[in-house]
Amino acid sequence: MRKKTVTTVAALAVATALTLTACGSGDDSASKPIADVSASAKTQAATVLDQPFKKPDLVLTDTKGKPYDFREATQGKPTLVYFGYTNCPDVCPLTMSNIAIAMKSLSAADREKLQVVFVTTDPERDTSAELAKWLPSAGDPSFIGLTGDFPTIQAGARQLGIGIDAPKKEKDGTVTSMHGTQVIAFSPKTDAGYVLYGEDATADDYAKDLPKIIKGENP
Amino acid sequence: MIRRTPLALCGGLTATLVLAVTGCSSSSDSSSSSGSSSSSGGTPRLKVSGGYMPKPVSDMAAGFLTVVNSGRSGDRLTSITSDISDDITIHKTENQTMRKVDSFDIPANGELDLDRGGNHIMFANLKKRPAQGQEVGIELHFEKADPIKVELPVKETNYNPATH
Repeated sequence: MRKKTVTTVAALAVATALTLTACGSGDDSASKPIADVSASAKTQAATVLDQPFKKPDLVLTDTKGKPYDFREATQGKPTLVYFGYTNCPDVCPLTMSNIAIAMKSLSAADREKLQVVFVTTDPERDTSAELAKWLPSAGDPSFIGLTGDFPTIQAGARQLGIGIDAPKKEKDGTVTSMHGTQVIAFSPKTDAGYVLYGEDATADDYAKDLPKIIKGENP
Repeated sequence: MIRRTPLALCGGLTATLVLAVTGCSSSSDSSSSSGSSSSSGGTPRLKVSGGYMPKPVSDMAAGFLTVVNSGRSGDRLTSITSDISDDITIHKTENQTMRKVDSFDIPANGELDLDRGGNHIMFANLKKRPAQGQEVGIELHFEKADPIKVELPVKETNYNPATH
């Protein structure tokens, strides 16, 4: 539980982030009563896990077509993982965009440390090239995109408690794919996945929490 | 049809306005309304509000809006058309999976809400990618009521009136 002073600071941080994201004119959000802001901050976006996840043993292919060993590459680094697909018009770009916007409020040093990994749940369509094209647009050029065999991806997701089914070709030719509900944050100290974010988490929520996650602290 | 709109549209004020509009569904905003207003008896009376399109990041986009039915008869949203894409479908989201549906129910004295993370309009193979601040014209088609045309303002990619 937070102490009161901390809450105030957090509310201010949210207010600042709000001003940043409100495209262009900041007057409006600045003039909103703080009470409003803290009311929306009350819904805690982060869930700190009692039993953190071990990093999945996941070796896939990155956006350059090179092998990427998730454990090795992210060892000792604060890392966010999300499972999604690029033919997803809503939640996947929303999630990537929220994280990318939040990252802009970090110091350059913190930004350097944070690893954001997007694992496709639709590897047939999401090739390395496709991910390389989509991620900078949906999120940030620094984001790491991984693709590979679906069973490998599915097994990796399962190690994080995320159930995904293989994309299904429907009768009308459309493909139904699944995305994960959560973003999982891994601590640089323990390498464990210790915080979950649902799809309701906003850019402001991430902006508020990322500096702590980068230190391996609880948000 | 994509129209360039004044820069002011992108400001926080507009965002708040949209928020307010979607926040209280039965509000009397008149900007983008009109359905079949023939007789109030057994016909649906539809009004569309709070529409927006998050700025697309690929050749695919989503659209969100609310259809309020103040009539005594239910209706269904059956399709969407727009100059921006020839491949527009309506989807529901269940268990992290999007599924195409043939229609969405708009109950009598009720509303259909298309929200982020939930039901949405999907525009595939966009003919052009609209920029933030532009508007995308769409036409909603219903089982009973006359079609309704609305302009969807293009918002930032992570725009969500529920959390902004």
